[in-house]
Amino acid sequence: MFFAGCDVGAISAKVVILEEDTLLVQETMAYKMLPREAAIEVMEKALANAGLSLEQLDGCVACGFGRKVVPYANGDVPEIMSLSKGVRWAHSGVKTVIDAGGQKIRAFNIGENGKVSDSATNEKCASGTGRFIEVMARALDLSLDSASALASEATDPVSITSQCGVFAESEMITHVNDGRKRADIVAGLCRSVATRIASLVRSIRLEEEVALVGGVARNTGVVDYTAKELGVRFAELGIDPQALGALGAALVARERRDGAASRVG
Amino acid sequence: MLVAGCDVGSLTAEAVVMEDGTILGSEIIRVRPRAELSARDVMSKLLDRLGLSFDDIVFCVSTGYGRETISFADDNLSEISCHGYGAHWLVPSIRTVIDVGGQDCKAIRVDGEGHLMDFVMNDKCAAGTGRSLELMSESLGVDVSELGPVAEEAEEAVVITNQCSIFAEMEIAQFMCEERSFADIAAGINESMAKRVKGLVGRVGVEKDVGVTGGVSKNAGVVKNLEALLKVKFVEFPEDPQIIGALGAALFAGEGAARSKGP
Repeated sequence: MFFAGCDVGAISAKVVILEEDTLLVQETMAYKMLPREAAIEVMEKALANAGLSLEQLDGCVACGFGRKVVPYANGDVPEIMSLSKGVRWAHSGVKTVIDAGGQKIRAFNIGENGKVSDSATNEKCASGTGRFIEVMARALDLSLDSASALASEATDPVSITSQCGVFAESEMITHVNDGRKRADIVAGLCRSVATRIASLVRSIRLEEEVALVGGVARNTGVVDYTAKELGVRFAELGIDPQALGALGAALVARERRDGAASRVG
Repeated sequence: MLVAGCDVGSLTAEAVVMEDGTILGSEIIRVRPRAELSARDVMSKLLDRLGLSFDDIVFCVSTGYGRETISFADDNLSEISCHGYGAHWLVPSIRTVIDVGGQDCKAIRVDGEGHLMDFVMNDKCAAGTGRSLELMSESLGVDVSELGPVAEEAEEAVVITNQCSIFAEMEIAQFMCEERSFADIAAGINESMAKRVKGLVGRVGVEKDVGVTGGVSKNAGVVKNLEALLKVKFVEFPEDPQIIGALGAALFAGEGAARSKGP
C-alpha cells in the first residue's frame, strides 16, 4: 500500500511517498507565492518519480503552514505531531527535536510515550530562519546550496553582531566592501544563525538524542556551528532533514487508513 | 556672545551657531569616515559662510557619534537630551518628540523646560525604522518618497500582519500576486509602519504637543497614519528638523558659556 504526506511550509513544499514501511520517494520544491499550486506541483513530481498515479495512493495527509489548501489530501495534522512521528521513525532514540524552517524555528521534547512536551517557537523574527539565509545568500549572489558549501572554506569567519536580519544585511555589505572573502562572510552568517537557534533551544530541556531538521538543517555550516554551540552531536537520521514533516504526515495517513474508507482522488 | 552646537549622525552632520539666543545660521553635510572630521568640516563650512572663525566661538557643545572625540568642543551631551531641548526651544508646547531615522526609532519625553524626562529606542529590531520602510517599498517597486502620493488612491489598505520587515516583504509579494492595487499595498505599508512606531512610542507614553523628526517625518503617508493612530496633530517646526540636535547642543553651549562667565 502507498501512503503520502505533503508538508507545505512557508517557502517550500515537500512530499514523501511510503510503500509499506519503506520510503519510496521524497520530493522538495521551493515556491514563492502560491501554496496550493506548489502542493499540486510537488505531488506531480513525486508521483512521476515513483511511477504512480494519484489514484494509487491509499491515503494522503497534509501538514505545515499551508496544510488546509492541499486539494488532494484526505486530512491534515499539526506540524509538531507529524515531525515527532517522522523523526521517531527515522531514529527511535530522539528526545529533542529542533525544527529550523523557512519562517519559523521550533524546538520541542518528545517523551517516552511519544508525547510532545515543552515546546518553544520563534516566528515573529526572521533572524535564524531559512528566509534570513535566503536573503543574505541573494545579497551575496549565491544559491542556498553554494552558500552551504562555501562556509566550509572559511578561514576567518566575520562577526555579525546584529540579531536583526535587516541590520545584519548592512553589516554584511560592509564586510563585502571591506574585501572580506565570501566564504568568511557566509561562515559568519551561519554562525549567527546557529547562535539564534541555540538560544531558542536553551529555553527547553536539551535531552539526547537531539535531531536538527527542517530546510535550514541542509546547510552544513549551520549544522556544525549549532552542534558546537549546544555541545551535542546531532542524531543521524539517514533522510533529508527537510522531509521529516512530510514523512510523519505519510505515517499518519497510514495510521488513519483503518478509519478512512475512501481512496484519494 | 557666540556659541555653537555640533551633531554628528550616521549619515549627516549638522552645526548651528547662535548669538544671544538667536540662530545665526546652520549647516548640514554628509559625514566623513571619522566623527572629528565630520564635526570640523561642518563647523568650518558654517563659520566660513558667517564670516567667523573657531576662535570667535566662546563655547561649543558636541553631540551624536564620537561626541567625546571632538577636539574643539568644550563639552558634550547625549543626542537625546540635545534633541529634546532643541525641539522644545522651537516649539515650547512640545512634550513628546518622535525621531524616526534610518536605523533607529526613538521617542523622547521632555518637561516644561525641555529637559529629558524619559525615552525609548528600538533595540534589536529594525521595525519602525527608515530602513524597514525602504525595504517594504522596494519590494513594492515604489520609491519611498512616493509611498504617500501612491497611497492616496487606496480603496482598502492591505493588512500586513508581520512586524518583521523581512517577513512583511513576503506578505507584500503575496498581495501583488493576488493583484491588490499598488495604492492599497502602499497604504498597508504606511499603516504597518505607523503601527510599529506607535507600539514603540506607547512605551513612554504620548503627551501633547507632539513633534516628529528624522528622515521618515518627510513621508506624508506614514505621518498621516501615525497622527490618526496617536490621535494627535503633529506640530510644525519653524526650522528644518534635521538641525534640532545641533540646535539643542548650541543652547546648552549658551548655558555653558554663561556659567563660565559666572562669579
